[in-house]
Amino acid sequence: MEKILEKRSLQSWMKKLDSWTIYAPRKDGSERWNYGIAQNDSVGLNFTVTTLPAKALVFPQREVFLEFLKTVEESQETLKVNEVIPGKNPVVIFGVRPCDARAVSLLDRVFSGDFVDPYYWARRKQTVLVGLACDTPPWENCFCLSTEGSPHSEEGLDVLLTDLGDKYFVKTLTENGEKLVNLAKGLFKEPRLEDKKKAKAVHAEAEKKIVRRVKRAKKDLAAKLKGLFDSPLWDDESMSCIRCGICTYLCPSCHCFDINDEVDSVSPLRGKRVRTWDNCQFPDFTMHSSGHNPRPDKASRLRQRLFHKFQYFVEIYDKTMCTGCGRCISLCPVGIDIINVLDKVSDHGS
Amino acid sequence: MAKIEDLKEEARKLLREGKIKYVIGYAAGTNGWMASPIFIKKPEDVEKLVWDPTCVHNLSRFLVDEKRRKEREKQPDKRPVGIFVKGCDSRAIVVLLQEKFIDRNDVYILGISCEKGGVVDEHKLARKLEGKKPKKIELGDKGQLVVTTANRKAEFPVEELLAERCLECRANFPVISDIMSGEKIKRTVEKPFGSVEKMERMPKEERWRFWKEQLDKCIRCYACRSVCPMCYCDECVVDSINLAVSADTTAEEKADKVKWIQRSAESSENFVYHFVRAIHLAGRCIDCGECERACPLDIPVRFLNKKLEREAKELFGYEVGFDPAQPSLVSSFRDDDPEDFIR
Repeated sequence: MEKILEKRSLQSWMKKLDSWTIYAPRKDGSERWNYGIAQNDSVGLNFTVTTLPAKALVFPQREVFLEFLKTVEESQETLKVNEVIPGKNPVVIFGVRPCDARAVSLLDRVFSGDFVDPYYWARRKQTVLVGLACDTPPWENCFCLSTEGSPHSEEGLDVLLTDLGDKYFVKTLTENGEKLVNLAKGLFKEPRLEDKKKAKAVHAEAEKKIVRRVKRAKKDLAAKLKGLFDSPLWDDESMSCIRCGICTYLCPSCHCFDINDEVDSVSPLRGKRVRTWDNCQFPDFTMHSSGHNPRPDKASRLRQRLFHKFQYFVEIYDKTMCTGCGRCISLCPVGIDIINVLDKVSDHGS
Repeated sequence: MAKIEDLKEEARKLLREGKIKYVIGYAAGTNGWMASPIFIKKPEDVEKLVWDPTCVHNLSRFLVDEKRRKEREKQPDKRPVGIFVKGCDSRAIVVLLQEKFIDRNDVYILGISCEKGGVVDEHKLARKLEGKKPKKIELGDKGQLVVTTANRKAEFPVEELLAERCLECRANFPVISDIMSGEKIKRTVEKPFGSVEKMERMPKEERWRFWKEQLDKCIRCYACRSVCPMCYCDECVVDSINLAVSADTTAEEKADKVKWIQRSAESSENFVYHFVRAIHLAGRCIDCGECERACPLDIPVRFLNKKLEREAKELFGYEVGFDPAQPSLVSSFRDDDPEDFIR
């Protein structure tokens, strides 16, 4: 359904959702936006883009899988294992950019299929995403139009808000989204024809403002990449890479993880099995216990990042594992620009 | 303002004569206003080099990569690499030489003086421009910064846009170089540790709260470590593999390795990471500020290093990165070194 919400009523809407934990973008003492739990202070949606994507809330950087305790009584060893599945904690995330929501729908694919991830889904099923269409690209390196997305894409969202000046054009996209709106029925009005027109105009205008594009489209690019696995291109393009984890940790769709046992006490043996984000740009990501590393240099690691996103993922899911948010470009400390690299791939040998 | 035409000519000549492998310099970035590092192998590409207050990176970090590359190669090309350095960056090279990590013959140093300028701070710039995108940033002839956006040209006093570390810099020009451009002049710095002093004036509890809040934000992307020319250890204690393994390492040895730090980005682990790093940089950090600039979450890591820089100066009269022949802080002692902190 489509509705209109006055901006000054946003706060009242959030208050009606008291059985949810509400996250919204906020500035925490620094210049950057990040999601925080909205309290009774005035949370508006006048943010640009959060440094950490919504991914961090549905797939947290650290997640406990199980707790273990080994006790010895009269030389009898007992091992207690307690699986930890996230409990009931319904969450609404306000202010999700369309690219980040599309990325969550990619994560949904990854954590389903043959291996349904119970930890991910326990959280995901109780998370409602309220998106905000971009009226102007939040970053100068946004390129969602090149990744089958748009500044007003609805994929992965439950509700999409479009800023019409003093009000939001509200479009519910799922049952969960409708539920949120129905809980505060009195705050929403029926849209007039001109509101609908204006929302469409905002969307069209926003698309025009996105200047960056990738030359080749999905299938074409994937095919081209496949032939360039052994190209010297990767050596050249990765020269300035410093092997930090910014491009991947802050990517809304990167999802690699590591599992470790964190031992709190040796006697009695007590600890937790923990999943944490991992990162293909770290040299130890592929390090074998023999000491051999099949991806020994920056070139092979940069190639892996691009191949995973634009080749392997396309083969498996017919989607690029990139939604064009531009974080990896804008936040790379040495200016490695994925669009440029992809275009060099496109131009290679032609 | 230093002009790099002479340096470009020199770089072109060196490449043409095959005296250097490649040149590490700055080129216009494609992702925004900031310059990007560039690696130039052909003399005709020298034209791409730029020099302005957006050349923030400390390129000496790439000398660490070069060393590793040479170690990996069966028949390494041992020619030096050319490298563009500012004052701060040159001090990093001094430390690498002092620690014998690199040899003086490994580098051909093309120095540029910042004179009374320095490099631009991203957030200061964003605040000034209120959403407008800068197209060009230059140091004006009156020592001001000239910022060109799509529809206007604005001038600002350097203090309003330069990175804090530039405002506390004591080496505006390279302390070591093979060829240098620009004048050996300095801006007067009244309080080289002003920012640390401000931090120290905070009451203890407040300071604790501040650092806890800041370090809790850390996602351990290790950009601060990765961008640092001094963080060149083969094995870093915080990596999930921090035990050198060989074909003879037994399964027991691997299982029994001490895990100093967990991967979880939690308070305790983040404190361990940042403090271990700060201690390892004591008497080595030359305050290029790259760690803080690279941090995607704006954690003010530079303060930790700056604090230790001051301790080294006050306790041992040690100033880092000016003399490659000077013994390093942690590997030397003098009879009159203070020891009243030993209890």
